[in-house]
Amino acid sequence: MTAFALAWRTARRYRARAVLAVVGVAVIGALNFDMLMLSRGLLLSFATMINSTGYDIRVAGASTLPLSRSPLTDATTLMNEVAALPEVDAVALIRTAGAVLAAPGRPPEGAELIGSTDPAGLGIWKQATGGDLTSAPNGATASAVISRPLAVRLGLSAGSTISVRVRIVDSLSAMPPVTLRVAGIAEFPFESQQASIVATTMDGFKAAYGGVLNDEASFMFARSRPPAGAEAAADAINRLRTDIHAFSNEQVIANFGRNAFTYFRQISVVLSATTAAFSMLLVATLLTVSVNQRLGEVAALRALGISRRRIASTLLWEAALLVGIGGVLALPLGELLATVLDKILRRMPGLPSGLHFFIFERNALVLHAAVLAVTAVVAAMYPVWLAVHLPIAQTLRQEVS
Amino acid sequence: MTLAVRGSWFAVRCAFVVLLLCGRAFADAAAPPDVLVSRQLLAKAHLKVGDVVTLSGDSAGSRARRFRVAGVYEPTPDPMKFNAERIEARLHLDDMLALTEDPADPSTSDAVSVINVTLPNAADQSSARTFSRSLSARTPFVVSAATADADNATFVVIDRFHTAIAAVTVIGSTAFLLALMVIRAEERKETVGVLRLIGISRKTIMTEVVVEGLLVAVAGAAAGVLIAAAAQGAVNRFFQHRYDTTLIFMRVSPKIALRSIAVAVPVGVVAGAVASWTLLRRGASSLVRR
Repeated sequence: MTAFALAWRTARRYRARAVLAVVGVAVIGALNFDMLMLSRGLLLSFATMINSTGYDIRVAGASTLPLSRSPLTDATTLMNEVAALPEVDAVALIRTAGAVLAAPGRPPEGAELIGSTDPAGLGIWKQATGGDLTSAPNGATASAVISRPLAVRLGLSAGSTISVRVRIVDSLSAMPPVTLRVAGIAEFPFESQQASIVATTMDGFKAAYGGVLNDEASFMFARSRPPAGAEAAADAINRLRTDIHAFSNEQVIANFGRNAFTYFRQISVVLSATTAAFSMLLVATLLTVSVNQRLGEVAALRALGISRRRIASTLLWEAALLVGIGGVLALPLGELLATVLDKILRRMPGLPSGLHFFIFERNALVLHAAVLAVTAVVAAMYPVWLAVHLPIAQTLRQEVS
Repeated sequence: MTLAVRGSWFAVRCAFVVLLLCGRAFADAAAPPDVLVSRQLLAKAHLKVGDVVTLSGDSAGSRARRFRVAGVYEPTPDPMKFNAERIEARLHLDDMLALTEDPADPSTSDAVSVINVTLPNAADQSSARTFSRSLSARTPFVVSAATADADNATFVVIDRFHTAIAAVTVIGSTAFLLALMVIRAEERKETVGVLRLIGISRKTIMTEVVVEGLLVAVAGAAAGVLIAAAAQGAVNRFFQHRYDTTLIFMRVSPKIALRSIAVAVPVGVVAGAVASWTLLRRGASSLVRR
C-alpha cells in the first residue's frame, strides 16, 4: 500500500475530525484567498476602468495629482494645440460644476453637471439606454445624458426634460435654471454609485452659466496615435505648456497604486500572513494530537518493518490531503465571500461605481497554492519528527500496559 | 510648493496657497502677520520658527504676502486624511481672505467654506440634528449637518468589513476547535466509559465537559485579548510611521475585549458539548471495548 493510500485510509477512518479540519482549512483558506485578491484588486479594477475609456492620456493642471481636477486655463487653445500634435489622435475637454436639479413636487436635488466636447462620452460614461449627446436635433434644447440612479429617483427616461441650475462656489450669486432634454441614461464608472450626474455638451454647460463662461476645463483626455504610443504623446503634450501635466494611463495607474487605498493593501498583507500562520498552527496541532493518539499504531507499523521514510511520507500526505482538499474548497468559498465583502466595501461613500476591491487574477491563485503547500509541509514537520523518532519497543510496551 | 491652508478657529476656508519663498532674508522688514505651519510642512520646506515666508493664493504668485512662522503644530489626526501628506498652514481668517479674495468679485472677501457651531447642550446629538434641520429649512443654499452625522459613513463600512472578516475567522476557528475537541473526546473514550460504568450520569459527565470547555474558552479568549493588547503598540507604530500621523489605528478597548470573550465562550462551550455528545450517545460498554 502506498503512503498516499495509507493517508487516505487514515482520513477516512477518522472521518469526523478530517471533515472538520477540511472545513476549517477551507474557511480560513477562503479568507486568505480573498486577502490575496484584495491586495491588488483595487489596482486591477482601476486599471480596467481607465483602460476602457477610449483615451490613454489624462491632462490636468501642473500643480496637482493625476486624478484631481485642477483647472486648465485657456482650454480651447490648448485642445487645438494638443489635437495638432502628430502623436495625438483625439482630444476631449471635460468641465464639471456643482448643480441643483429642480423637479416639480420634489425638493431640489444636488447633482454634478459635466460638460464634454466628446458627444459619445468616451472616458466619462457608458451608454445604457437612449442616445448620446449627438442625438440632439440642431437648434433644439441642449441634450443631456444622466446617471441611472438619478433617472430612477426622478422617474426620468429618454425624452424627458430636466431643469438644472449651476451652483456658484465662493460667491453669493445664483444662476437661473436651464432646461435640458434627456437623450440617454448611462453608467458613470468614475462617479459614486448613487451619484446624480448630468452630462451635457460644452454649449449646454455654457448655457447653464447664462452663456458667459471663462475658457477653463477641469481636465482633458487625449488618445495617442498607435505608432507614437501614450508615453511619447504625453511627453509631447507636456512640452506645450509649463502649467499643465499630461499622464499616460500607465502613469496614472502607478500613481493610484502608490497613493490610493494603501490601507487595504496593507491590511490584506497583515491578514493574509495572519491567516496563513493561523491555519498552519491549527493543522500542525491537529496532526500532532492525532499522531499522539496513534503512537501505538505508528510503533506497530514501524515494528512490522515499515520504514521511517514511509511513515513520514504518510503523515505528509495526511497534511497534504487536509490542506489540499480544504484549499480547493476555499476557491469557490473565497469567491462567494469576496462577493459579500465587496458588496460591503462598495457602500463606502464617494467610491467610483466601477471600482471593485476583490479581483481574481492568476497570480493570486498561484500564491494561494504556494501558501497552502508551505502550510502543509510546515504543519507536518513536528508530527513527522515525533513519529520517526518514536522508541518502538517502549511505545508498544506502554500501549499494551 | 502648494499647500492646504486653513483659516482661524471660528470659520474655516480651504484653499490652495503657494509657498513662494522662505528664509530669514525678510526678518528685518516690517512685522508680517503670523502663520502656523504643520510639522510636516516645517520639515519638508526646511523652515524654522521665526522664518518669514511668502504665500500666494495661486500658482502664478499674484497678490503674494509675507508671513512670519510663529509656531509649528501637529495636525489633528483625521482618519479621512491619514493617506495624505499634511502639508498645511494656519492663518488668521482675515489674512486668509485677503490672500484668496477675487478683486473682481467683492463677495469673495466675505465668504467662508464652513461655519462650526457649538450649541449650549453640545452633548445632545438630537438637539444638534434639530438645529441642523431647522437651519437647512430656513437657508436653502446652506448645507448643514450635525458633526456626529458627518463623514462617518466610511467608518461604518470599514467596521462592517472588519466584523465580516472576524465572523469568517470565528467560523474557521470553530471548525478547527471542533476537530480538536473530537480528538480529545476520542482520547478519553475509555475514561468516560469507566465513569459511566461506575454509575456517573451522562448529565454529570456532560456538565464536566462543558465546564472544562468554558474554562478553556475563557483562558483562550483572555490570551487572545492579551496578545492583541501587546500587538496594538507595534501595529500603531507601524502605521503611524508609514503615514506620518498620530492617528490610532488599533485600540483594544474593554468593550472590544468583552465582545471577543462573549463570542469565544459560547463557541468553546458548544464545541466541547458537541464533541462529548459523540461519546455520550454511545453505550458505556462500547466505550470501554478495545
